[in-house]
Amino acid sequence: MRTQLIAVVVALAGTTILTAQTPNRARADSIARADSIKIVRELEAMAARGSQQQPRQVGPTNPRLLPDISAVGDLIGDFSPKGSTQEGLERFSVREIELAVQAAVDPYFRGDIFLGISDLEGIGIEQAFLTATSLPWRLEARMGRFLAPFGKQNTTHRHDLHTVEHSYVVQRFLGEEGLKGTGIYLGRVFSPFGFYQEFIVTAVDRLGEAPEGLAAEEPANKKLSGLGYSARLRNYWDLSEATNIELSASAMTGRKEQPIALGVGPVDINATLARQTTAGLDFTFRWRPLQQGLYKSLIVQAEFMKQFNEKSPSLPTGVNATDYIGPTRNYSGAYLFARYQISRRTFIGGRYDWVQDPEADGVSLTAGNGLLEFFPSEFSKLTASLERRSLKGLGGTTRFLLQASFAVGPHKPHPF
Amino acid sequence: MSRNILLATLLAAGLTPGRPAAAQLRVVTSTTDLYDIAVQVGGKRIVAKHIGQGYQDPHFIEAKPSFVLELAKADVWAFVGLDLEIGWMPLLLDGARNGKIRQGGTGYLDVSKAIPVIDVPSGNVDRSQGDVHPLGNPHYWLDPDNGKRIAKLFEKKFIELDPAGEKEYAANEEDFERRLSAAEKAWAPELAKIKAKPVVGWHTSWRYFAEYTNMNLVGFIEPKPGVPPSPSHLAGLIQTMTRTGAKVIVMEPFYNRKTSDFVASKTGGTVLVLPPSVGGIKGVDDYISLMKYNVSKLAAAMQ
Repeated sequence: MRTQLIAVVVALAGTTILTAQTPNRARADSIARADSIKIVRELEAMAARGSQQQPRQVGPTNPRLLPDISAVGDLIGDFSPKGSTQEGLERFSVREIELAVQAAVDPYFRGDIFLGISDLEGIGIEQAFLTATSLPWRLEARMGRFLAPFGKQNTTHRHDLHTVEHSYVVQRFLGEEGLKGTGIYLGRVFSPFGFYQEFIVTAVDRLGEAPEGLAAEEPANKKLSGLGYSARLRNYWDLSEATNIELSASAMTGRKEQPIALGVGPVDINATLARQTTAGLDFTFRWRPLQQGLYKSLIVQAEFMKQFNEKSPSLPTGVNATDYIGPTRNYSGAYLFARYQISRRTFIGGRYDWVQDPEADGVSLTAGNGLLEFFPSEFSKLTASLERRSLKGLGGTTRFLLQASFAVGPHKPHPF
Repeated sequence: MSRNILLATLLAAGLTPGRPAAAQLRVVTSTTDLYDIAVQVGGKRIVAKHIGQGYQDPHFIEAKPSFVLELAKADVWAFVGLDLEIGWMPLLLDGARNGKIRQGGTGYLDVSKAIPVIDVPSGNVDRSQGDVHPLGNPHYWLDPDNGKRIAKLFEKKFIELDPAGEKEYAANEEDFERRLSAAEKAWAPELAKIKAKPVVGWHTSWRYFAEYTNMNLVGFIEPKPGVPPSPSHLAGLIQTMTRTGAKVIVMEPFYNRKTSDFVASKTGGTVLVLPPSVGGIKGVDDYISLMKYNVSKLAAAMQ
């Protein structure tokens, strides 16, 4: 049936081509409009004119030592039936433009800078870090701002996720765009048991972004114990040449500003510092047969996180325990995601979310999400996502989102 | 416990598991073709591994962490270059944290430096042209002259890193060239059957092979490099095949042959699935076998 359909289309298209043959247009310096064979013919002619039969010992391809500069656009359309569910309530928005500048700094370091630009937040430093590339013992060290190596999803830029948004457990526990930190990062790859393992530790200036409108008596980072610390152990196994799994664990801790009742403490103080610790497990299964890998693949991913909150933090003088209105319980959350490739450029997938929502005092938030992804090429992606989200006892919301994202320039590949 | 004792014993003896006593260099290559030529030249003085398989599209290899472990131990990282591995190589090299094989390191071996590259675009290049390689066509190993150049390059690099093996590397390289030249003489009559015959390829990966065999590539299934065909492109291709008398469509085993079969059914043509690399199909286990198989199958299809 499909072949018959193609045959009809081909026949129609062929008729069009027969009647629409036009002379080759003159192309001064570009082969942009040519097809593969025209490109080849043009290059053959160039080779005949020139001297291409010499080994490629020409000058440098980047004589000005320019860094790789690239940009990623992330566009959102929100067609939810009861109004936009975007933060700024737009139906159409440029959610973010990411500008990346990346290069080797010298024989010892490479530099990576990612700027995020959005209507809501203006321009900001998403990531900017220096990586030491010459350390012994398979060590890697970074200094700067980076995505926290916590869990699987958080180390992927939002525009490059398989879903339109981060899972709800990541959004609620780590932040809508994931968790970043500014500090130092040390990782080591090892394999004492014959499989890949990597251990990463970080120390960052603070755990998450500073909450707006909350002021404690002292900054969270005044004491070293108030910094944000994280650790992650990755374990990876090849099950066969086509399948592999990763099972990893992460933990992080730090002190954060949490609210106290207004007017009960010292003037201008409406928060106190409380320790928050989050632990997580993540699992990823991948299947991609090598020979048919252009057309078939499957990924199944799950993460579980538990957030532990200090229940009785020290409070400013004059503030009673009953005036503390920060979180006094622990929260859990998880998601399960799967995506299957049905053709060279098309994928279908779905995600189920469950989280005890800290923003709703622990009420269970559940969401089911189905998505269709289409990749015109490696550098552009169109996604349609239908989601039903419910807060237990408080009803639900249906969301329909379209996403278009694109990359221009030599954007570095994202982590496996 | 006993395993730990064994490991400790081996370490105490100055041996590393996985590297035979005679081997001096640990070599990792991006493709099976480079792997085979490296082994031919390096012989017992090297231990070699390859990242990609011959039946896999080398543009789209996954940067698995297990590859990182191989690269972390490597003395030489040999890759095709010309951006063929751009989608995955940076991740592996970053992950390996091995200064020897990073750009500028003694073991960083961009094999394309030894090759007279074809299809180097001039002027403005952008992705509206598809998955174009701005530095030129990277599928150069499908020309035996380039196979010899690759062998020479390996010889030079191995001698640089392991001078004690100079005689062995030189002898191995000479032997490889001799065997390849002899094979070329043997299949020369088959090349005559291919010469100037019109052929359609799937991807521009057959350009060097066409240069070598003098087959006449009259079209490609892909409208632009890396771009799947549209119905209108296939219609044009069918007309091209009819006009030129092309009866053979050459494609790699990792593409979906339904499209080629459809075009062949409209033109009375034949679809020829040829391995683009060593190991691309069963029985094609070394570089000379690869070239021999492709030449003989194509010549047979032309009759």
